[in-house]
Amino acid sequence: MAPIEIEDLTKRYGDLAANDAVVFDVERGEIFGYLGPNGAGKTTTIRLLLGLIKPTAGTATVLGADIRDRRALTGVKTNIGYLPDTLGFEERLTGTQVLDHFARMRGDERRAELLDLFRPPLEKPVETYSSGNKRMLGIVQAFMHDPDLVIMDEPTSGLDPLKQDRLHQFLEAERDAGTTIFLSSHVLSEVQRVCDRVGIIRAGKLIALENIDDLLTQSGKNVWVHLEEPVENARFLTDDMIDVEVTGATIQFTYTGDVKTLLAHLVQFEIVDADIGDPQLDDIFKHYYGDEGETDATNEDATREDTTAEVE
Amino acid sequence: MTAILRNESGKLLHSSVLLTGMLALLSAFMFAAYPGFAEEAEFVEEAFPPVLIGLFGFEALHTIEGFVASYLFSLIWILFAGMFFAYVSAGLIVEDVRTRKMDLILSNPVSRESVVLQKVAALWVPLVVVNAGLLVVLLVGASVLGESLDPVDLGMVLLLSVPYLLVCVGIGIVLSVTVDRVETAQASALGLVFILWLVDGLSDMDPDFEWIGTFTPSRYFTPTDVLVHQEYAYGDAGILLAVFLVLLGLAVVIFARRDI
Repeated sequence: MAPIEIEDLTKRYGDLAANDAVVFDVERGEIFGYLGPNGAGKTTTIRLLLGLIKPTAGTATVLGADIRDRRALTGVKTNIGYLPDTLGFEERLTGTQVLDHFARMRGDERRAELLDLFRPPLEKPVETYSSGNKRMLGIVQAFMHDPDLVIMDEPTSGLDPLKQDRLHQFLEAERDAGTTIFLSSHVLSEVQRVCDRVGIIRAGKLIALENIDDLLTQSGKNVWVHLEEPVENARFLTDDMIDVEVTGATIQFTYTGDVKTLLAHLVQFEIVDADIGDPQLDDIFKHYYGDEGETDATNEDATREDTTAEVE
Repeated sequence: MTAILRNESGKLLHSSVLLTGMLALLSAFMFAAYPGFAEEAEFVEEAFPPVLIGLFGFEALHTIEGFVASYLFSLIWILFAGMFFAYVSAGLIVEDVRTRKMDLILSNPVSRESVVLQKVAALWVPLVVVNAGLLVVLLVGASVLGESLDPVDLGMVLLLSVPYLLVCVGIGIVLSVTVDRVETAQASALGLVFILWLVDGLSDMDPDFEWIGTFTPSRYFTPTDVLVHQEYAYGDAGILLAVFLVLLGLAVVIFARRDI
């Protein structure tokens, strides 16, 4: 049984569906990225999984416990770590006292090891902490009881790039050691960097569920070509090229076809320099979000819609 | 599983000591007025509008027991301490929900029932601190005035005040699990305890409306009965305890079922 199994999970507030029939599983020993902009419903799913709010319809199991069964869910929480987006610590306590408090409820066998990696000022009251220090304290409390499943809501917000990197490396090591990690983020590069699979949520609906690698492959290659001299578009461009931008002798586009075909095509031209690489998840993300909210389609939007069709 | 009880107890120590200090100061001022009161007790009882006499339940003002029971206890205990306990318990749950502390608390293997019960149980701190503090203040105050209060009666009146204060706690905790805003919950709790105190006193004055007072908790705790007449109303204390348990049960049931 997968650590998290979500079946048609729905949460409505009046007419608004914060989660609308969401379905996916998070497998053992993977880092699953739950991606979406603010307000898409990521935190709602997480709070449903922890039993903080009740589903309107559908359900989910977390480490085998049905989220509607409060007693069972409470029981498995010894094996769950949680890093909320808003860290509600007892502000007047020092970092040490906060950790002591949580340790009394679920243990802290890995505390010392974690404090070597993430170092909040333990002797100071939490109310004096910067947001980065609070986040580090949050990371320590989420992992210190060596849980099988860790749920993290925007784990890197407030962390400087160096500490973000440290967290990412740590998460990969934890994953390799068998811990299942479910993290939500609106930071695309983070998900691309660290996650094995990604679920994209928009307006409460899960709109994509892919391996990161597949997602990147499906969405083609980013190609940049610098020619010796400008050529006629009609001669150079093929149907597999989308999002084309021509500036003099420089052409940039996304290539959706086979790379070999592309190379065979390119050798017909006098090329000074070329670059073929994976697109940023950012671009893919735009494809999923770009067509909503901008219905009065500009040229750019029209191109995006084409691309969305390609991706899907 | 007592981590929350322990944490909450520590949190309440500061405010309990502060409250005890303030009540002690207030008691000292009231004690200072006692000699004048005692000399002119008859005059005072006549001069006070009947409404006020009814509110405070003035009785035997010329004795230290009557003074302490009907003036000091009525005001400090039934009104101020009652409001304090209602106020504090009204903040227990809703504040943690609003500040998202509850999200972290409930990510631990602890049931919602246990969270409410441990938080309410932590109110043993103000109960003990305020009672012990006031006991000392009363004994010292009386001896400074050259009077003496029976320690047994004094102990009894403090003990019998606990069920009354617990009902105030019950009112607060029910508001704390039902109201969405901290300020609203606390203000409602304060206001409700004040109004109940007022209704009890006012309904006492008119035999036609006296029955209304049976729905107020202060009707079941009468300090003058204990201090002046040495009557210990265990039955009334039992009623108050039962009401407290019902309110607490209600709060637990509501909190266990709601979204936070």
